[in-house]
Amino acid sequence: MSTLTLSPASVDSRLSEPKTRFALPSRPSRHMLSNCLRAMPLPSRSEHLIVDQPFLFRCAKLFNSVISKAIPDLKTNDFQHLRRVVQFKFLPPHLQKTFRSSKGGVVLTEDPSEEDVAEQDDTVRYFLVSPSKAIQHAALVDAFRQNPPWCESKASPRIFYVTVPTFSPTSSEQAAQWSVEYWPITYKNTNPYGPHPSLVARNVAEIEKDAGKWLALAEKAAEQVYSQNLGERVGCVIVDNSKGRPEIVAVAADSRWRNPTGEPETKNDGPGNVMAHAVERAIAMVGKKRLRAVGKDPDTLDRKLFCDSPLTDMERRYYELDNLPSNGYLCVELDIYVTHEPCVMCSMAILHSRFKRCIFGRRMPYTGGLTADNAEGKMEEKPKLGDGLGHGIFWRPSELNWKLLAWEFTNEEDKENGKISDHTPNTLQA
Amino acid sequence: MNPDKKAYHERFMREAIAMAELALRSDETPVGCVFVKDDEIIGRGMNETNRTLNGTRHAEFVALAGILSKLPISILKETDLYVTVEPCVMCASMLRQYGIRAVYFGCWNERFGGTGGVLNIHSDISVDKPYPVHGGIFREEAIMLLRKFYVQENEKAPEPKQKRTRELKTEISPMDIHAPKK
Repeated sequence: MSTLTLSPASVDSRLSEPKTRFALPSRPSRHMLSNCLRAMPLPSRSEHLIVDQPFLFRCAKLFNSVISKAIPDLKTNDFQHLRRVVQFKFLPPHLQKTFRSSKGGVVLTEDPSEEDVAEQDDTVRYFLVSPSKAIQHAALVDAFRQNPPWCESKASPRIFYVTVPTFSPTSSEQAAQWSVEYWPITYKNTNPYGPHPSLVARNVAEIEKDAGKWLALAEKAAEQVYSQNLGERVGCVIVDNSKGRPEIVAVAADSRWRNPTGEPETKNDGPGNVMAHAVERAIAMVGKKRLRAVGKDPDTLDRKLFCDSPLTDMERRYYELDNLPSNGYLCVELDIYVTHEPCVMCSMAILHSRFKRCIFGRRMPYTGGLTADNAEGKMEEKPKLGDGLGHGIFWRPSELNWKLLAWEFTNEEDKENGKISDHTPNTLQA
Repeated sequence: MNPDKKAYHERFMREAIAMAELALRSDETPVGCVFVKDDEIIGRGMNETNRTLNGTRHAEFVALAGILSKLPISILKETDLYVTVEPCVMCASMLRQYGIRAVYFGCWNERFGGTGGVLNIHSDISVDKPYPVHGGIFREEAIMLLRKFYVQENEKAPEPKQKRTRELKTEISPMDIHAPKK
């Protein structure tokens, strides 16, 4: 299955092949938890096209000072995705045609043939001024007439109106398409609606080979503690994939039914020891390993109820590996694999800990904190219980103080066969 | 809130502030809390994230780890939390899973508050019972503690931000930071 050679320390040798073949979704955009929290979905192409018509005219120098004087409150941030200065040859074909043939607007020279030559000259620039509503046509002409070269000439600047997309594109493909259809567009990796598809694709390429293996290991870890009646069948694995070779940093299982004396607690309607969820335990193990790495007592301020000492041989084996640098900070650069979608508490613990990526197995539509959409991938302002809580606690950069990438790891074969891989109730807080 | 009730809540919030002051002296983010059952404090906690190198060791976790080592989880149904800063999203969810009766807090947490500051984990749809929250008790004191901390250099951060030039502001306007967003 995997062609990657792994060091013995990074793979549990007792780990059997996964029962079924795991595969990362071939269409990450559908499975990616990208629509975070917003009631508004990613704007569709048609919504981008508006009737804003920025002024356009040719020639390059002095325009910024003229415009900032003429339109002092111009918000250039609103159209940062539009190229401000463009050469004739980079204009969309329909604009090249319009500008070449146009006698409209105000003509710089009296001689059209000279103008035709000038337009195709590399030295001529078309400059995007502002949204059309920002200044009156006559006022703009006046502003330029007071400055060179027009103050010394009878000619006036030529001004055109063009239709442009209101919003930034959400992919490089979209940017390329709009550049041909409307106006040269730049695209930046700052999508407020969710991680950018190219960022997602790059990260999928980094993790897809091993993701199934780490989730299988998390399942195995969960099984070992579950079989001792100490917890629910939830487990997680923390992996450092930042050094070119994946390395397991911590493995932890849920141990909510382990009482303070270490004995199994009788399962009841209650939540058990919420602080002993697998994610909380694994994060605590990373902290203890970091304390050890800087020569401090890993049990500093520790309390039994945190349950952050290894419970099984497998947990101990990775806990005892000294494979974290002493200068690291929380879980920066680390990835966490969880058998189930983490509950709201654990989702926020992951965010607090500054993880780089989270990959979970089973989606938990009643309790999970990561998904922003429901099982059908739709967004709802007020979700019904069981449709997903809609919190999207992985990508709310304008509200929460960290963001990370998150995936639901789907097994298409199981879905087709109607198999459910575990019998954990869907109301469980994982 | 009538004067008797106010005095009752302020009495416990003063104890939470004492824990936050202890945190500040320990080089920790000054957040402190107490849990109260039958008019008695059953547990105290303060933030311990810096000393444990664990970003989840919030005051509520620390206090509950102490309480639940002696008392059963079921008592939390008759227990209230007093905390100087609004519980974060993580703690808000933990408290709901445990079935806390009510939460009283000082200032709002506009960075990651879970009970109104950013999200509403206490009341949003969930499999667990919602709980009521009351914010603003000794809000100014809670904010001042945080400001005292943030003017210090945080040496644990990977790229320490230059904070030496910062001054400690002392005036707090009614709708300053740490006020509810809505």
